[in-house]
Amino acid sequence: MSDEVSPERIAAMAAAARVPITPAACARVARAVMPTVTRLSAAKITLALETEPSSFTVVQRRELGR
Amino acid sequence: MSDIAALSLAEVAAAIRSRKVSSVEVTRALLARIPTWQPILNCFVRVETEAALAGAAAADAALARGAAVGALHGVPLAHKDMYYVAGSLAECGSKVRKGFVAPATSTVLARLEAAGTVRLGALHMAEFAYGPTGHNAHLGPARNAWDPTRITGGSSSGSGTAVAARLTYAALGSDTGGSIRLPAHFCGVTGLKPTYGRVSRANAMPLSFSLDTVGPLARSAEDCGLILAAIAGADPEDPTTAGAPDWDLGTARRSASGLAVGIPSAFYTDNLDADIARTFDEAVATLRRLGVRTVPVELPDQTAVSAAALVVLAAEATTLHAPWLRSRADDYGPQVRARLENGLAYSAVEYLEALRWRGPALAAHLAAIGDVDAVMTPASTSAAPTIEETDVGGGPGAEAAIVAITRFMRPVNYLGLPSLVVPAGWSAGGLPIGVQLIGRPFGDETLIALGTAFQTATDHHLKAPTDP
Repeated sequence: MSDEVSPERIAAMAAAARVPITPAACARVARAVMPTVTRLSAAKITLALETEPSSFTVVQRRELGR
Repeated sequence: MSDIAALSLAEVAAAIRSRKVSSVEVTRALLARIPTWQPILNCFVRVETEAALAGAAAADAALARGAAVGALHGVPLAHKDMYYVAGSLAECGSKVRKGFVAPATSTVLARLEAAGTVRLGALHMAEFAYGPTGHNAHLGPARNAWDPTRITGGSSSGSGTAVAARLTYAALGSDTGGSIRLPAHFCGVTGLKPTYGRVSRANAMPLSFSLDTVGPLARSAEDCGLILAAIAGADPEDPTTAGAPDWDLGTARRSASGLAVGIPSAFYTDNLDADIARTFDEAVATLRRLGVRTVPVELPDQTAVSAAALVVLAAEATTLHAPWLRSRADDYGPQVRARLENGLAYSAVEYLEALRWRGPALAAHLAAIGDVDAVMTPASTSAAPTIEETDVGGGPGAEAAIVAITRFMRPVNYLGLPSLVVPAGWSAGGLPIGVQLIGRPFGDETLIALGTAFQTATDHHLKAPTDP
């Protein structure tokens, strides 16, 4: 995940989602999400190709047989 | 307070079943209390007096003719205003859904009705369940029964404060980022966020389909178990419940002696108010007296888990609300609109990476806790703050304030774990303080056993605010 979030990025994302948003709101959103984006970027999460989207359910359901 | 209103859910159900008191008498006792408290707490959005009394009369008639009855026969309950009943209003604390009439009935309300409960009304909630304090731009704030200048916590704001004031024996809430557990902590009641996939969300208002859970707030862990016994289990209308086990009463009633509880050494110990730290230490000592083995555990970095939870929540909530954001954004309150706009920030790749990490993150959590049955943490860093100081709206400090209040909540939702908050003590100012027991996947019953044992050794859950 990029650790830089600019108001311009928010404006582009909102346009792609077809949601109207003001420049002031773009600046506010960029500031608001920055700590989350920075934290996830620092975590350097790597996921193996073999980690399927269903793996949460797989891990969770193992407990049923515990 | 009347003797009837002071009973627990287990006690009132037994009293009705044995015909020591009628469902109509119980329903009238609660209906008589609501007009006294409602102007102070703002906890009901609808009181369904006529329907409740008719339902209670029907319950009494069924009992009189010897008809088969459910475990909660004739007990009146009110719930968060997001559980659909076909043909009835479900406004979700919003202007957007003002006047919305539900097309179908939620599985959880159908199951509670099958258990015999009578519907008393609908309760206040944060707009679309997207707020942790109990503020609502359209309804005004719900207020804490222990001190009406204080927040209830949210988003199950009405559920928390109505249970505390003894206006309902229990109430359904929902928990996507702490919305059952925060009101339980701030209002001095017991709240169970079940394992993700244990209770159907069918025909309940969604907020984040990967994180949403449905569960009760009640006066005790035993009472939460009674509600789960009625609502837990697989439902074809909600595929996330496929394979979910029915409620195991034997495990829920087991002794806590011999169970093991992990005590984290970091994150959940940071920046605690002195009252919270003292209460937590006392709760650990209580568990030890009950024969519970407490062991230190070092959890994976909870800040990364929490950040991933925020990405999933924001992206999914914004996706669900995108049609209205395009067409009637001004009908949202400022804070909810601001939070929904935050969800525009994440790309599909970022969202799906956060979602894909969930399995490995859960595996890492389970490896870290080893064989312990639960982990205990504080529920928040403080007792209930004032409504005024948390009235941040959609302003520049809103996101930071929300993140701070929900700090100890979000990892549990991301990992899909069950969690029980029980009252454990009091602040110097007389406000309730809870502790959080986080279980293993599908270990909901073990949490009820631990909570019930804790509540046999303490009396915090029995205390009620003084009637006006």
